[in-house]
Amino acid sequence: MEKHRVRNTIRKLRFQHDEMTQEQLAEKVGVTRQTIIAIEGGKYAPSLELAFKIALVFDVSIGEVFSYEMEDE
Amino acid sequence: MSIRKISISVSLVSTLLIMGYYLVNLILMNRQGDLISAEVFRLAAVVIIASIVLNIAGNILTSIGVSIIRAIQTRSAKEVRIIEDERDKLIGLKGTQVSYVAFSLGVLAAMLAFVTGQPALVMFCLIILFSLLAEIIGDLAQFYFYSRGS
Repeated sequence: MEKHRVRNTIRKLRFQHDEMTQEQLAEKVGVTRQTIIAIEGGKYAPSLELAFKIALVFDVSIGEVFSYEMEDE
Repeated sequence: MSIRKISISVSLVSTLLIMGYYLVNLILMNRQGDLISAEVFRLAAVVIIASIVLNIAGNILTSIGVSIIRAIQTRSAKEVRIIEDERDKLIGLKGTQVSYVAFSLGVLAAMLAFVTGQPALVMFCLIILFSLLAEIIGDLAQFYFYSRGS
């Protein structure tokens, strides 16, 4: 079975939004900075609710923040 | 280091200290030939109570300590909110699961010792030992999950 992983564009979106810091994003969505670091690094796939909250902060659709892609070899 | 990692470290150190105290006392009792049920039960009671008290006190002191350090760092008197988010809860649950598996295996090992002819007191000592060991393994597993991401 092919391996997939959740990828995201949070880093890019943060810089497009007045270079928002990880701490600021974490505060807005109600998680710790460590969780934002883990999500950005693709180490942690957030819950659907948290994914929606993040998309809402950047005012974009969830598909523009997260994508489900095949893992690189 | 995040507050959760500090909290786990405190729990790990306190459990290690309690396990050390338990093992040292058990070995001393065995050497002096005092390995009688009344003494072993007293030691087990001390270990269980100390484990509960140290964990609660450790968590409270960690929260106070982190709040003070954060207040100094940010130079603000504003109350510091300590958040436990979904990732922390997930890692906590995974750690508990690992701990349960370790404890179950320990109980199985203790029962096997009893079945193979060891006295019931040895089985009891092993169960207490494995309960402490399971807590340590659970804390180490949480450290691993934090370093891995989740």
